[in-house]
Amino acid sequence: MRILVVEDEPKLALAVKSGLEYDGYEVDMAGTGEEGFFLVHSSSFDLIVLDVMLPGRNGFEVLATLRRDGNKTPVLLLTAKDAIEDRVQGLDAGADDYLVKPFAFAELLARIRALLRRGKPDVPATLIVSDLTVDFASRSATRGDRRIDLTAREFELLCYLIQNVGRVVSREMLARDVWKEADRHSPLDNVIDVHIGRLRRKVDEPFPKALINTVRGVGFVIRDEVP
Amino acid sequence: MLYAVLTSSLLLWELRRQLYRYAVQDLETVEGLLSFSSHGQVLFEDDYHNHPQSKFIQERYLEVLSIPDGEVLFRNDRLAKEHLGHSSFAGEGKDGYSPRLDHLSDGTRILVLSREHRIHGKRILIRLSYSEEPLYVQYRRLLWMFVLCFSLTLPIAGFASHALARRLLRPLKDMTCRARRITPEELNERLPVENSHDELGQLAQVFNQTLDRLAQSFARLKNFTADASHELRTPLASIRGVGEVSLQRERNPDEYREAIGSMLEEAERLTRLADSLLVMSHADAGQVALQRGSFRILEPMREAAELLGVLAEEKSQSLRIEGDERAIVEGDRLILRQAFVNFLHNAVKFSPIGGTILLRARVENSKVIVTIEDSGPGIPVEHADRVFDRFYRVDPSRSREGGGAGLGLAIAKWAVEAHRGTVAVVTGSEREITSGAVLRIELPLNIWTLPLGSGVR
Repeated sequence: MRILVVEDEPKLALAVKSGLEYDGYEVDMAGTGEEGFFLVHSSSFDLIVLDVMLPGRNGFEVLATLRRDGNKTPVLLLTAKDAIEDRVQGLDAGADDYLVKPFAFAELLARIRALLRRGKPDVPATLIVSDLTVDFASRSATRGDRRIDLTAREFELLCYLIQNVGRVVSREMLARDVWKEADRHSPLDNVIDVHIGRLRRKVDEPFPKALINTVRGVGFVIRDEVP
Repeated sequence: MLYAVLTSSLLLWELRRQLYRYAVQDLETVEGLLSFSSHGQVLFEDDYHNHPQSKFIQERYLEVLSIPDGEVLFRNDRLAKEHLGHSSFAGEGKDGYSPRLDHLSDGTRILVLSREHRIHGKRILIRLSYSEEPLYVQYRRLLWMFVLCFSLTLPIAGFASHALARRLLRPLKDMTCRARRITPEELNERLPVENSHDELGQLAQVFNQTLDRLAQSFARLKNFTADASHELRTPLASIRGVGEVSLQRERNPDEYREAIGSMLEEAERLTRLADSLLVMSHADAGQVALQRGSFRILEPMREAAELLGVLAEEKSQSLRIEGDERAIVEGDRLILRQAFVNFLHNAVKFSPIGGTILLRARVENSKVIVTIEDSGPGIPVEHADRVFDRFYRVDPSRSREGGGAGLGLAIAKWAVEAHRGTVAVVTGSEREITSGAVLRIELPLNIWTLPLGSGVR
């Protein structure tokens, strides 16, 4: 999978590049709209990560030109301004998704995966990590041969974590995708932490191996770590 | 000048009307004074009518013609050799008096009236005329008087009114001078109020009140900026400190991981702070568009409680909601819900383990009253007014607890006020839980969507 990142802030660009490469993507970089535009025309990409605030031609203009030329490559817009007009303008210009800076890297990865997966449904009936099995149809979770009693919210949280197995999910992602909250606010972070704690008590504590991990400052991840 | 001409012309017109009326009267009198002598001569007994009734009617000209041959039967002495038109014209003097203007040979303007008359079976035409010159004399005199008066009084009036205007406007000039000195940095200047009852005094008062409000909001803004900068500096200091210290010597991967995680946590705080500041600035600028809808106030209260219920559970607190289902408000449900989340979060945070939090909604005097009681330490009276201020904390040492930036209550207050409501700390009675803080929120009741017969006034 080949991704073009158009971003003028060198530090962020470098971080995004190495992060994506670590996740197995092939990454090309462009520091200006013109450069990005040239690269899009000279080679083909599976996805473009496009910053809105660029020197010279801004992201909206680059995007609009691409779409006018009939280029259908999925585009993920990065916008620094949390203004609704910006989102609307971006989606109008033909963006497939947008992300507000500063974003969690886990979130960027999740959005990229979602865009690349688009149109390819992959909803297995059950997911298994180590000895933990989550059955989506019957909405039940078992560890070993023991059934785990979960509340509705705890089950959704577990589903989200296990669907992103091995990848860190941020509190922002949980707030939006599990709690369906439009804005993330500080009380919600506490609520998320409490729920993670309860989930851990049910899923991990009775068993010798812990599966739910906290990555400090980033978020949570279900991972089958070698003990 | 136009006024002078108009007035004089009006006078002339009125005088002419009078002249005409007198002339008609006179003509009728003259009719009775005419007779034929035995020789067929026309006699006129003008000794009867020697004194004119009006000072304008001094010069009577009289001419009598026979009809239809037009022979001059009589001409009075004043007319002498002049004539008042030669032969009669068609219909002259038949119906009415055929008034017309004419000139004598010396240019005297005259008004001529004619009247057909019968004496001893003979048809005669009486022509009576008066000079209009005295009228014009009056007219000119008046006009001149006006011109003279105007030319004399205008400069005087002009000078006087200029002086008067200057006197009247002097306070305004003063005000302008002072107003010019008022800048965002120098908002203490106020306009002088000389007389609070006249218009200028009132203007100055209103202006001063506006300045007071401006000064207040500038002061708030200054504090806000200073506070925001302070709040930004705290996580920045942490990031820097943690980063620099961890680079002081070689460390093992776990230590690095720990350091980076800690820095990321602070970055999170910064992000949240930036978000809250953005919300506040949108709110300040009035840029938040409310999605209007009508709903029971209990709904967002319950949703907030559902969201934060686990936090209360963790502290074994009892969280109760009770209230009137008829308490319906109009507004943006999500924004009010956010306000309740913030209020409730505060209540949970400050109530002790095993404490009680009580949310109640009721309808009172066309208002929806929501009270939020907690069993925490309460809010001291001296802080009651300020707990809703941005970044304000009753206990500064708690500033880092829970990661809150001290904007939660300020945002909640804004949300309530955006719905034309008020929120205040209740300091006196009206509480069920003995200790703890009580917040009282008032919102307008939406009476139009109440079901009929619900009995709420």
